[in-house]
Amino acid sequence: MLRMLGITKSYGSVRANRGIDLVVPPRTILGLLGENGSGKTTLMNVLFGLVRPDAGTITFKERPLADHTPREALAAGIGMIHQHFMLVPAMTVTENVMLGWDAAGRWLRPAAVAEHIRTASHRYGLDLEPDARVGALPLGGQQRVEIVKAILRGAELLILDEPTSNLSPPEVSGLLDVLRRLRDEGRSVIFISHKLGEVLAVCDEVVVLRDGAVAGRARAADTDRAKLARMMVDRDVSAPIAREEGAAGAERLVVADLVASDATGVERLGGVSFSVRSGEVLAVAGVDGNGQAELVDVIAGLRRPTRGHVFVDGADVTARGVTGRRQAGLAHIPADRHTTGLVGDMTVSENLAFRDCDGPPFRRGPWLDFGAMRVAATERIARFGIRAGGPDVAARTLSGGNQQKLVLARELTRRPGVLVAAQPTRGLDPGATRFVIDEVLAVRASGGAVLYVSTELEEALVVADRIAVMYRGRFAGVMRRDAVDITRLGLMMAGALSESPDAAALYGRKAR
Amino acid sequence: MTEFLAATIRIATPLVFTALGGILSERAGVFAVGLEGMMLAGAFAGVITAFLSGSMLAGVAASVLGGAAMAALAAVATTRFRAEQMVTGLAVNILAVGLTSFLLRGLLGHGEAPTIRVSPLAAMPVPGLASLPVLGPVLFSQPVLTYVALAAAVAIYVFLVRTRPGLTLRAVGENPAAAFAGGADPLRVRMLAVTCGGALAGVGGAVLSLQQVGTFTDAMTNGRGYLALAAIIVGRWMPFGTLLACLLFGAADALQLRVQGLRLPVSSYVIQMTPYVVSLAMLAGFGRTAQLPAAIGTAFARDRPSS
Amino acid sequence: MPPASQRVDLAAVRALAPPLLAVLLAFGVTGILIVAAGKNPLLAYWSLAHGAFGSWDRIAVGLNRATPYALTGVGIALCFRARVINIGGEGQLALGGLAATWVALHMVPAPRPIATLCALGGGVLAGAAWAGLAAGIRLKRGVHEVLATLLLNFVGLLIVSEVLQGDLGEPGSGFPQSPLLPAASWLGRLVRGTDLHVGVLIALAAVAVGHVALWRTPFGFRLRILGASAPAAAYAGISPARALMSVMLLSGGLAGLAGAIEVLGVHYRLIDGFAHGFGFNAVAIALLGGLNPLAVLPAGLFFGFLETGAVAMQRAVGVPTPLVAVIQGLTMVFVLSAMGLTAGRRRV
Repeated sequence: MLRMLGITKSYGSVRANRGIDLVVPPRTILGLLGENGSGKTTLMNVLFGLVRPDAGTITFKERPLADHTPREALAAGIGMIHQHFMLVPAMTVTENVMLGWDAAGRWLRPAAVAEHIRTASHRYGLDLEPDARVGALPLGGQQRVEIVKAILRGAELLILDEPTSNLSPPEVSGLLDVLRRLRDEGRSVIFISHKLGEVLAVCDEVVVLRDGAVAGRARAADTDRAKLARMMVDRDVSAPIAREEGAAGAERLVVADLVASDATGVERLGGVSFSVRSGEVLAVAGVDGNGQAELVDVIAGLRRPTRGHVFVDGADVTARGVTGRRQAGLAHIPADRHTTGLVGDMTVSENLAFRDCDGPPFRRGPWLDFGAMRVAATERIARFGIRAGGPDVAARTLSGGNQQKLVLARELTRRPGVLVAAQPTRGLDPGATRFVIDEVLAVRASGGAVLYVSTELEEALVVADRIAVMYRGRFAGVMRRDAVDITRLGLMMAGALSESPDAAALYGRKAR
Repeated sequence: MTEFLAATIRIATPLVFTALGGILSERAGVFAVGLEGMMLAGAFAGVITAFLSGSMLAGVAASVLGGAAMAALAAVATTRFRAEQMVTGLAVNILAVGLTSFLLRGLLGHGEAPTIRVSPLAAMPVPGLASLPVLGPVLFSQPVLTYVALAAAVAIYVFLVRTRPGLTLRAVGENPAAAFAGGADPLRVRMLAVTCGGALAGVGGAVLSLQQVGTFTDAMTNGRGYLALAAIIVGRWMPFGTLLACLLFGAADALQLRVQGLRLPVSSYVIQMTPYVVSLAMLAGFGRTAQLPAAIGTAFARDRPSS
Repeated sequence: MPPASQRVDLAAVRALAPPLLAVLLAFGVTGILIVAAGKNPLLAYWSLAHGAFGSWDRIAVGLNRATPYALTGVGIALCFRARVINIGGEGQLALGGLAATWVALHMVPAPRPIATLCALGGGVLAGAAWAGLAAGIRLKRGVHEVLATLLLNFVGLLIVSEVLQGDLGEPGSGFPQSPLLPAASWLGRLVRGTDLHVGVLIALAAVAVGHVALWRTPFGFRLRILGASAPAAAYAGISPARALMSVMLLSGGLAGLAGAIEVLGVHYRLIDGFAHGFGFNAVAIALLGGLNPLAVLPAGLFFGFLETGAVAMQRAVGVPTPLVAVIQGLTMVFVLSAMGLTAGRRRV
């Protein structure tokens, strides 16, 4: 049904796709596996017409597809369900479906479209209410709106980009069922993911991308997780990093009964308490969207909790804001280095100073001391091996790995007592990832306490002394690393198992 | 009283056209700060053409083009060149004042300000309905453009809520990426919306010059474009709400003119303030739920690298 | 690598290239209009320049005219840096003039420098308060500051008109204006025999202070971070509310000061409509100066001299004065387009 040959696309110096071939037969669910930066999303954007490739051809249902817009791709029968939904929150399901759908006509007939939605929803088990406001639906519901849009437009090939990253486990299995029904009705699906379990559960064929090129192809029945993982990263993921064993010391970070809501007022943290000792790394695992972002924000001072306290080295910093926490010795590596951790248009030396511009050494009286900033920058560039043209180049000219080194340099130079690291290796190549992990362990070795939040379970396992799993705004459980049971962890992440004292109450409340 | 109500509707007419045009622009995601300039351009083009050609119809047509031309300039700058929307609107206003006054003197008056006179559009009573008590003189004895204005409000409502182009326009104003993925071209939609909005504002200007006064004077719109913006806010970006707001502001203006005769204890300036104060109060009252189109003021870029 | 201070100047120079091109393009397009009107554009521009620079008297008027532009422009440029859009300059300026008038009229026995200083201070406070009101509405109620400053702008102007009708008006003058202010409050002349008043020095000082504050102080650093990225600013512990309020108070104060200077140095009384055009033009000037306080000065001079030369141009060649507004408007549109195109490459 689909034939993509020799697709090549570069963004400046980043070669996102390097001559990729992809063939999708009809009535097939094809899994497209790869880590961050492997080129999966770029390839699909090329297919859908969101992006023009530098080279390569696309043939869909025997007809060539080139220089096309999303509208033409849609008309040809390709439907894309994006990771970040292309929906208008202020409009209803019906209006969102009618958007861009030629068959809806010049003069809208919302009643007729609503009827179509109900029919399709029933046929594929989508459970959608046409008059609901999309902004009020849960993420799983919004995804199903995207699916019904594609189906009603007659899409024969559906592309789902990381569809389960924001879904709860029951929603995930629901989605996989929907996909199987779609395949049985004669359509094909491209399932983009980095989650081996799901890919193997639902796909017929698997293609693995690495660094912008195809690293391997297999039929799902003929392969297993280890083989796929090797194709994805080409190294042994399971060997843990050697570390010094030692008894942890005093409690440096104490969090008591934190309750917080997100920007829209929905409660995301439902009472979290824990402590991290000197010389210890507590990793927080869990599917993204279970409150990790809010937890980090509250501890780092970027969000006010509704209730609860944060203590750093015994001092209550809850109300002290970012500067107060910094003074108390808390360092924070934010999840988003592009817009939060760094100011892209500012220079390297300014970025290294911008959290500390109100006192010595970067401030002398009422003035900024640029000389001191540059001296500090030069020293840190050398110490952390940052590849940059000098302290005066703009931070956005650095590669992802070097940008993260910049953030690390700023946060770690002050020898923090407590380090909060949120997704610190996201989007980094293996070499940069290794560097970050080494630095985190160095903080641990020098007596600091580290809170390491990551959605990648493998990474959390490598770094942690203890692992906590977040589910629905609480800790579903905490395990020592040497006593880790992967199955139990997985179940905790799925919310099926909870070790907290009021487990029954937790469980009971969840079952609706 | 009937006279006051009739005057309210008359005075509100230019506001209605301009505000409706502004709704098109803002619903598509572009701040309509340039309404003042578009209105002025329309007023100028309209009365000059009517004067030179002798035809009112030609004048109205010209006002459409005049407003659209000003708007096209702002549209290209903000969508193609990603100029800052707010300030481009201000620039258009400044430009329009200068351009219209300059052309008036330069092209027609040979350097001096000429006197242009056209007979203003007369009232067109609707046969039968015009003899109704109260409603007759108030609603059915208005000049033709006033009837058009009321019809336009209905048309814009139907367009936005019941047609696919209207749906697309609203989507572009809320989430241009979603509209793009749905096959629309947000830049093109915005340019069209702003230009059509300008055309409507131009007609609003024609109402001033052709229907109300019959001549052109420098900067004769006198802030009505900004008043229209306020009306859109009070009307919560919906055509009928905005129509009501325009009527409210028209009433305030009518009141302000009559305050001497009515011997009210309030000064005319204070009355003139009320539209702005009311809009501000409404915005402040609704606060963050002010229902602005979500993507208003943002630019849209096509090629976005992703991992 | 040149030291930071030189780097800033190089960046400022490079930032001036698009505005200069925009100005040239605007003159070019306007030239076509002049031809359409049947006049000679080169002659028109020559008399424009002559009217602006032809004599010391003319230069003095031009500098006077540029003063409120530069003052208000610096404030608005700083606002823009922090991603705050303040388009209420006209109202703030008008209220500043109003306050200065009130203070001057009520401080009759005070001697020379004190009366002037107090009146100027009153202007600063009034402008700052009005801008602060808009900022407060923005912070407390989430109203976009563009709408708040725009709406309050008109309210402010109407307040001035209202007051001139009543308490401060000069009865029997046939025109809404205040009585002549006592001479003790007038701004002194800078150069004897010309109209040039001390306000020019105040404007120069404001430009210098603005530049230094933006590029050399932690306050300016915080503004620039806020303008570059709101999440990064939060991460750095910068309070956007405090930054917004301080920058609005600052720009309101500067606008109010400009209004006070106009009243005390040019008209010597409060005249209805004296603030006309300053607010929006100041936004243009801030943009023309690429949001750099230093560059706001030449931009303000450009506008000021453009306007003084216009009258002479009309008298000599018969090209109507509104042409100047055409040049201003076109320049703004072209600069904005250039800025939109180069958004990613600007020095933050």
